[in-house]
Amino acid sequence: MKLLSSYIKEMKIAARGFYFYIEIVMAIILLAILLFAVNETSSSKSREYLYYDMPQEVIQYMMEKNIAEGNSRFAESVELTVKPTEFEITNQETGETKSYNFEEAATFELQTLETLDPKTGELVKTVYITESEEDMIRIAYSESKLGAAIKMDETGELSYRYYLQGYETDRMENLLYILHNETPDVIEAQKDAQVVRTLDITEKLNNRQNLVPVFIAFMGSLMGFFIVMAYIYLDKAEGVIRAFAVTPSSIWKYLITKIMVILSTVIVSTSIITIPVMGGQPNYLLLYVFLLTTTFFMASLGLLAASFFDTLTKSFGAMYGIMIALMIPAFSYFIPSFDPIWLRFFPTYPMLQGFKEILLHGDAGYVLTFTFVFLAGGLVLFLLANIRFKKTLTV
Amino acid sequence: MISVKNLSHAYIKGGNLAVNNISFEVSKGETFGFLGPSGAGKSTTQGVLTGLLKQQSGEVSVAGYDTKKVQNERFNKIGVSFEQSNVYGKLTAKENLDFYAKLFDVPTRDSEELIRLVGLDGKENVRVGEFSKGMKHRLTFARSMINHPELWFLDEPTTGLDPTIAATIKDIIKEQTAKGVTTFLTTHNMYIADELCDRVAFIIDGVIKLIDTPKNLKLQYGQKLIDIEYIKDDQVVKETLKTIDEQDRKRIGEIVNTYDIQTMHSKEATLEEIFIQVTGRGLV
Repeated sequence: MKLLSSYIKEMKIAARGFYFYIEIVMAIILLAILLFAVNETSSSKSREYLYYDMPQEVIQYMMEKNIAEGNSRFAESVELTVKPTEFEITNQETGETKSYNFEEAATFELQTLETLDPKTGELVKTVYITESEEDMIRIAYSESKLGAAIKMDETGELSYRYYLQGYETDRMENLLYILHNETPDVIEAQKDAQVVRTLDITEKLNNRQNLVPVFIAFMGSLMGFFIVMAYIYLDKAEGVIRAFAVTPSSIWKYLITKIMVILSTVIVSTSIITIPVMGGQPNYLLLYVFLLTTTFFMASLGLLAASFFDTLTKSFGAMYGIMIALMIPAFSYFIPSFDPIWLRFFPTYPMLQGFKEILLHGDAGYVLTFTFVFLAGGLVLFLLANIRFKKTLTV
Repeated sequence: MISVKNLSHAYIKGGNLAVNNISFEVSKGETFGFLGPSGAGKSTTQGVLTGLLKQQSGEVSVAGYDTKKVQNERFNKIGVSFEQSNVYGKLTAKENLDFYAKLFDVPTRDSEELIRLVGLDGKENVRVGEFSKGMKHRLTFARSMINHPELWFLDEPTTGLDPTIAATIKDIIKEQTAKGVTTFLTTHNMYIADELCDRVAFIIDGVIKLIDTPKNLKLQYGQKLIDIEYIKDDQVVKETLKTIDEQDRKRIGEIVNTYDIQTMHSKEATLEEIFIQVTGRGLV
């Protein structure tokens, strides 16, 4: 009864303040962006820099064959200027390191080939062909893109030497290795054994849907984290926590009602974004369970953080730092090849992956595991926040 | 109703003591004034008694409960009115009191009746954010009575109120006292303490200097005084003279016989004057 009464009171206060509407308005804006500014099909194209170490006639033959099969088409040559630069590259097989020092800026005329999707005929990749391996290495480094040298031996066999940026995942490296160094049988066997979740899923979500996990993860987590802190600071400014502390009701009930308000609003905001874009596609039960546990976790973190400061202004540095850090996993989400181990310890990493799995009816085990992890973690944070608030009730 | 033995409290571990080894008792039905200037340790003591501050040492019992143990049900018997009003600005006066009432496990008072009692009639459905400081203070005061408290903590209950409203608040306190409510009144206003309290404690620098009834204090420390105004060389001159001092008595006779008297009033020493006499410090 006390809990219900506190919850109703908190909802009234939230509905009469502007923080409640920030989230709803934000959700509507994000939905509008998704529906009107983001195409369903991807317009992003990857770029590669290649050097063909073989006679010009062979290169010409290979290209024309590809064009005839509808896999590629010539595009206008591109002029590219790169700045002076200095770097080292390491051969992963031999461990040998080689230094490059280009003291002058250089301009290259690159022959350009566009790779097309064989089914749809849409552009998927632009390939730039350099005249030397050194040019390719320099340009790939300057542009932070993948480079490769393709060599043909006396028997007509092709061999590939890839130049990566260093942050690619082991999975990515293994994939390249298998693709060019094993027989088709081995590749088939390896394909069956590989669990490459991120890359696999990206293919199934259209461009617009692919943004939904990011929006709902950050809406629930970051807004939950920020707004619960704002609610606490409003109460601190009015001194009402002290008034609550001299009633028979417990502080944890006061704190949990704040989280209940956040959970209520996040259900509304998430529904605003998800339902129009995803329709009946996702498992909504799993979606809302995962949403509630992740938001509970982040709102508890917000409560704990709020217990260390008196005002929003004083907490701004810490709050801003935490929010920026929580956004970093979005890089991995949009650039699957960037997936360092340390990034997986950020709570927003499994949140993004979890929402993606749900939208695709993917790995439910992964989602349920992290549902439990966020619930347990949220409870620990909530208990710590409760202890902190009991200690910091000032006179 | 309240028993405090050897209570000390420091805000920083090993730092200065805000309250230093104080002891006192408050009987059931008594109005006990806790008097001292800002920073004397009044609010710290009240903070420990109401559970807002963790008890660090000594023994404290409030309304029959040991404050070292966490027992939220004790607040069913306690009402607390804060010096700084602390009500929800986005809720109306009635919503504030109704919400608060639901937090108690005992029968509570009607919110509208309490709002009327403190002179906020017609403001029941106005959001508190639109209230003046004094109105918010009155609502905070009204809220402290919602659970029919047996023990009532009042922190500067008339601060910032105009004289008429302050008089109403004082009347309400007297009414509650007459009903047997025990009151712990924290203030630096000696006139209110004098008017309302059965006993007062003087606290300064975290130490209680004395505890007694206002009447005994006046008898012990007070002196009958006469304020006299007279005309001398076409100027109005004012003197305050003690009636028990032989020299002052002669001076009174001399003035009366020599000069044209404008005004002459006898008066008692105030609690404030006694406080200054006892502690050597003022109340501000």
